[in-house]
Amino acid sequence: MAELSDASVPKFAAGCRWGGTIEAPVVLFPEGTIRVEGTGRIILELCEGHFTLAEIVQKLESQFMLAPKGKIRADVETFLKQLHDKRIVDY
Amino acid sequence: MQNPLALITEITHRCPLHCVYCSNPLELTSRKEELATTDWLRVFSEAAALGVLHLHLTGGEPLARPDLVELIVGARQSRLYVNLITSGIGLTRERLTQLVEAGLDHIQLSFQDSTEGHANWIAGTRAHAHKIEVARWIREHRIAFTTNLVVHRQNIDHLEEMVAALEALHPDRMEIAHAQYYGWALQNRSALLPTRAQLERAVAVVAAADERLRGKVRIDMVVPDYHARFPKACMGGWGRQLLLIDPAGRALPCHAAGVIPGMRFDNVREHSLDWIWQNSEAFQKFRGEDWMPEPCRSCDRRKEDFGGCRCQAFLLTGDASATDPVCELAPLHHLIEDAVREDAVMSAAPEVTGAPFHVLQEKMDGFWSYRTDPK
Repeated sequence: MAELSDASVPKFAAGCRWGGTIEAPVVLFPEGTIRVEGTGRIILELCEGHFTLAEIVQKLESQFMLAPKGKIRADVETFLKQLHDKRIVDY
Repeated sequence: MQNPLALITEITHRCPLHCVYCSNPLELTSRKEELATTDWLRVFSEAAALGVLHLHLTGGEPLARPDLVELIVGARQSRLYVNLITSGIGLTRERLTQLVEAGLDHIQLSFQDSTEGHANWIAGTRAHAHKIEVARWIREHRIAFTTNLVVHRQNIDHLEEMVAALEALHPDRMEIAHAQYYGWALQNRSALLPTRAQLERAVAVVAAADERLRGKVRIDMVVPDYHARFPKACMGGWGRQLLLIDPAGRALPCHAAGVIPGMRFDNVREHSLDWIWQNSEAFQKFRGEDWMPEPCRSCDRRKEDFGGCRCQAFLLTGDASATDPVCELAPLHHLIEDAVREDAVMSAAPEVTGAPFHVLQEKMDGFWSYRTDPK
């Protein structure tokens, strides 16, 4: 199984993409749909294959300056690992 | 009332395979009754307007339609996520490239067993070797790839080998679906229903594979309800999330609903999908909870399983409004217990390999009947 590290570049797995509407975006994947809101949506919008995990965490940290140190990184990792197990995100 | 999320379209009932558990109705739609390309394209756009996100192109064998590329292009223009459910027969490397370029999102390829002889025996035709080749072509594209295996008494003991064989094809997802006993599978239930011991081993095999392949292959299992304590939430509830259009354009709440007598199914040739979803008698019939008898009506589980499956209730009890007999609380639960006692028993199968279809049909007569082609 792929390990998630600072240098990992998360992106949608094959056959996974945005759908729905701009007001209510969803992620579409084989046999399923997930509604993503708030931080989840912000993270996934950064998963376009351009940014590393470290860069994504940095962007979020500058956006949510009041979050306790280390919490954002832990949350992003948990979120991406869950989506990786569902074969929605590759890294 | 919520919007449907997925549209299942049986675009044809023609199929080069003769699988003994086919989910199509026993009465198949003929080619001359099939909807035209323009009808389907209109249905896709109406579905998207209704809030549908997923389109499932299935059959029969959807590749039997020469307009498949056009249908995919139209579905993508309507912003639908396009799933193709196929046996792979009728696919060449070039045609696959055309389908992918048309915008296909996900391809689900069916397999019947781990070895060629056995798989072809179940499918009633020589299909297995071609499927392996198709799987290799699929991996040349960036597209989601699922392998589907329908599990029953005649292949369940090969599940471990099957998972290993499918793993070698590098799918993103494996669907391990126990046969559901409607139509052809119900007719062949005495040859297909697994024993309790077989099922328990299979569950352990799938759990081990799921653990081992986590992060690499996603495994989804459809459990066999005859061995369950409670019924499945069939179709996520009647007229609640899904609608199905048959090759002739009839809109049904599920694959099997055509068996329920006295139902009127409206046709997309005469009505919009929106009208059908809101007003069609067939969709209203078992929507919500008003139709429920006891013990469902006062049961907490009704919010989870919606009273189980109406078609199964009809097929087994003769009354589509009865509690699904799978439920251990159902007054007629003994029908399931009887079926398991009588049908889920090991019996020697006359195995015929490498024979043409008419020979297979003749040799297997009395053991199971193969799905035939529409007239």
